[in-house]
Formats: sequence, structure tokens, C-alpha cells
Amino acid sequence: MKPVPAFSMLSLIRRSTLLAGLALLASLSAPVAHGQGSPPVQPLPSKKPDTDAKVWGALVFASNDPKEAASMPKVDVPAEFADIPQRLGKVFPYKHIDVIGQHLQDVFREYESWVVPTKDLFLKVDSKGPAKEGGMNLHLQFWRDQQVIVKTDAVLTAETPLFIAGPKWRGGQLLFVLVLQKGS
Amino acid sequence: MKTPPEDHDLLRWLDGEMSAAERERFDARLAADPALKAEAGMMQRLSADLRTHLPAELPVPYGDFFNSQIQRRLSQEQEQPAQVPAAAGWLGWLRLQWLAPLGLAAVVIAAGLTTLKQGAPAGGSDTYVHSIYVPNTAVHASTYHSMDAKATVLMLDGLEEMPADRKIVGFNITRGEMDEAVAATTLFDAEDNAVAVISKDARSQPVLLTSSPAR
Amino acid sequence: MPASTAPEPGEVPDIDLVKRCQAGDTRAFDVLVSRYKGRIYAMTYHMIQNETEAWDLSQEAFIKAWRALPSFKMDSAFYTWLYRITHNVVYDWLRKKKIQGDGEFDDSRTEHRIAAGAEAVPHGDQAPDTALKNAELGRRIQQAIAKLSPEHQQIILLREVEGLAYEEIAAAIPCSLGTVMSRLFYARKKLQELLKDCYENAA
Repeated sequence: MKPVPAFSMLSLIRRSTLLAGLALLASLSAPVAHGQGSPPVQPLPSKKPDTDAKVWGALVFASNDPKEAASMPKVDVPAEFADIPQRLGKVFPYKHIDVIGQHLQDVFREYESWVVPTKDLFLKVDSKGPAKEGGMNLHLQFWRDQQVIVKTDAVLTAETPLFIAGPKWRGGQLLFVLVLQKGS
Repeated sequence: MKTPPEDHDLLRWLDGEMSAAERERFDARLAADPALKAEAGMMQRLSADLRTHLPAELPVPYGDFFNSQIQRRLSQEQEQPAQVPAAAGWLGWLRLQWLAPLGLAAVVIAAGLTTLKQGAPAGGSDTYVHSIYVPNTAVHASTYHSMDAKATVLMLDGLEEMPADRKIVGFNITRGEMDEAVAATTLFDAEDNAVAVISKDARSQPVLLTSSPAR
Repeated sequence: MPASTAPEPGEVPDIDLVKRCQAGDTRAFDVLVSRYKGRIYAMTYHMIQNETEAWDLSQEAFIKAWRALPSFKMDSAFYTWLYRITHNVVYDWLRKKKIQGDGEFDDSRTEHRIAAGAEAVPHGDQAPDTALKNAELGRRIQQAIAKLSPEHQQIILLREVEGLAYEEIAAAIPCSLGTVMSRLFYARKKLQELLKDCYENAA
């Protein structure tokens, strides 16, 4: 796959961030096909930040329309999260519940982490350290494009996923799932 | 509104409200009266079809939320917190312990910050939400614990629908690498292709650069 | 289905829960909600044929029941009493909506989708044409029920869906046994008329 950057939003971005993004895009393994006149970039120093845990985020399309459901490309859900669609079905009354995007992400200790199973709906996760009663204290921001929908402080445990009821779409609904990976 | 006695008989026969002797007499009438027999047969079919197609019990959508909303409204109505009657004593208290997790009240807010009063569940192993902030006045957020799904649910009512013509494509990201120097994260798929870069602009708005197609 | 069922082994009986509710125990009420919400929701849904409104009205019925619980004398089964409250909530709503006409309801209300989880087609392995016929009959029955007056809907639901005996129906409405039989008779006649072609074709 040859990534082709989508730069439609760049006019909104300040110069410093733009340069950072360009630098990273330029460092990607596949060739980047943006404008010929892009400035040359230096390889960035890499250092792995400390992490507190690992989370799995999923974008789910829930629908009663078999045609819509069948038309969605699905992703292969890791075995440890395979029961999530069935559990979602107990909360959201839809006939078809499919994971259409997923993201397994380290939760960084000192930096924000992003869980992005799609560019349209994603989460910003800030670690506030382990919770006394188990799990992780997290600050979560649920974003839709450039708008934050909700901010919450929560304890996320490996036993209990967090289900977020997202917007309606094509007669169904988009759902977002966040799970703390066991033993992470 | 009166109905003829013979119609009462047909009704009572149909609904099993007759004594054995009455039923026997009515069965004899049916055998002798083909028109009555046809009427009775049609009534029986109608009854059976009604029972088949109108279930006495339906699964309540968002069943756990249904309960927690009622609990929330009850607690709003009560100036004092609910008190278990003293007469119930320890036995009553013990018998009710299995219900404890149901006591997690849902909290609904619109446009603002709410710090939730309820503490962590007794077991300590459930995800729970301390506080919710919703900037948009049209959106109502609420949270509750679903016993059925063993999940914590954050409901967001009033969200603007995604346009049907919007193509929403899911990623399949297996890792994200953070670069501290530029505070940006590159997201990779299972084949180690870079799928997107995400960072923040000066107003702390997310900036997402994606490759296309997404997967 | 009788108005009050014997509690399962280990299940707290309604009457004990009601007493606790009357002393202000909201958790006891939560058990009653869990026990009866499926039936209350089904009854409300069958009457108004709208999932969202049925959900809200079922909530309203339980809240009203909670408020009225201090004056509940336990002279009838809890469910019978709850049913009566629910019916009144739905009836008031219908009246406010002014969709109650001269005994017949607005046909447009029957343009609904079946509630999630509702079985439009009964379980079991059926031939596709049988399943289709069943689904069609189910749709026609829902439409016919929606066309009945609230009194006729109520009597049909109490008898055919809830399975109550005449005396229990008389207590739930409340009315005389004669009224129960008379209403049931006319409600069935009306349904027969509305579904005439289904049964004529089947015969």
C-alpha cells in the first residue's frame, strides 16, 4: 500500500505542527506523494516513552439493515476481545454488530495517547496512573473530527469494557469500545 | 353494552371459563350447529394467532439503562436518601446484597461538568466514570453499568447524525509510536505500514494526517 | 400468564418487595422494575406501536407506581395494580395526543417497524413461504390492534396476551364481569372484521 497523505485540513494547522507532521510523514517507510517542493527533513531522534498499560479501541457499526451491515468491511478482532460484539448486543438493540475499525495502543505515562480506529471518531487518553482498586485512572476525550463530544475521568478495568454510544449513521449507529488489555 | 347469552357461552367456552358440565353441554351444541362450530373455530384461530404475534413480554431496549433511569428519578424525588426499613433487619439486608451492583445510579448531564457521587463498585473490578463534561448543550451524557453485558456504558443522546453519504472507513492499527520531540504519534497497521499521524495544534485540537485509502 | 406468579425458589416475593418500597427502599423497587419491565413495555408497545414512546411511557408508569405505592393496600396482586397504572398512563397519553378518534385509530401509526427483539416470525425451522405468511399475519395483527379503541385494545391484551381470567380482568380495569364479557365479545368481533381476509383465505 502506498500511503497518499490527505492534506485538506492543513490550512487549519499552525506551522510548527505542520512541520512536525511532515517530518513524520517523510519518515514513513513508504514513499510519500505530496508536493514536489516539500522541504527536506532530517530523521527525528527516537526514544520510546514509558507506558502504563495497553488499550484496545474499536469502532463498531450497529444496524438492523442486513445490506448496510454486509457492505461494511470488517476487521479481524483479536481472540481476547472476540466476545465484545455479543456484549454490545446486550446493551444496544441492533441485529448486526460489526467491528469495522480497531486500534491497539500503548498508554503512555507522561504523554497523551490516541486511540484512532477511524479518522472520524477517536479518543485521546491521558494516563493518571494505576487505580487503587485495580485498573487505570484515565482522562478520556472523545472526538468527532475537530470537535470534542465528551470528556470524562474514569477508571478503566480489564474486566469491564467502556461502551460509548456514538452518532447515528446510515440507519444504524456507530459505537466506540475501549478495553484495558489484561496483564498490560 | 349487552351481548346475547349464547355469545357469552361461546366466549366462556373459548376462554376456558366453563365448568366441565357446561363445557360438555356446549360441545354437544357445537356438534349440532355447524355455523356455531365454524364461528368457534375462527375465534380459536384468532386467539391463537394473537398469542403468537403479540408476545406478553418484550426485551426492553437499553434494559439496564431503563432501570438506572428510574433509580435516578427516584433519588431526585427523595429529599432524603433511601432508607432500608429497620424491620427488614440483617436478614433483609443480607437477602438484598446480591442487588448491590444494581444500585449504581446513572447520572445524566447536558452541557457542563458533573462529578459523579457514586463510588467504586464494591467488587472494585468494574470500569466506572467519575466525571463527565459535555460542551455541547444539545448533547446529554449519562453513564451506567450494564450487568448483562458486564460493561460500563456512556450514552450520548442528541448527537448530530453522521451524514449518510460520509464514507467512514475503519483502520486496523496494531501500534502507535510516539515521538516526544514533536509530540506526534504515528499509527501503524499489522504490515507495519504507517496509516496516520496524529498530533495537536496550538489550540489543542487534534490534527490527523491520514494516508488514503485507510486500509 | 397469571397476574401474579409464584416466586421462583430464592426469589423475594412481590409482597415483601412492596413492603420495603413502602418504607422507601428504592433497591427493592429496582427488583420489581426488573421483574415486570418486559411485560409493561410489551403491553405499552402493543398499544401505541412506537418503541421510543413505549419506553418513555413504561418509565412513567413505574415512576407513577412508586409515587402511589404508599397508598397501595395490597388488596390485589402487585402486577394487576401496576398494569392498571400503566394503562391509565398510556390512555392519558393517547388522549393528549388526540389520536383517539371514534373508536378507530389513525392508520398511519401502524406504519411502524417491529420492536427490536420482537419475534415477527416465530422460532423454528419453517419453510420460507410459511415464515413469510406468518410475518405478514403478525403485521396485520399489529395493524388491527392499533385500530381498536383503547378499551378494546386493553381487553384483548389482558385476555389474549396477559392470559388473565375474567375475574382478574375485572379487577385490573376495574369493571363488572358482564362488562368484561361484553367488551371482549365486541373487541373480537372487530378484530375478526379487520382480519377477515386473512381467515377467509386461510379457510
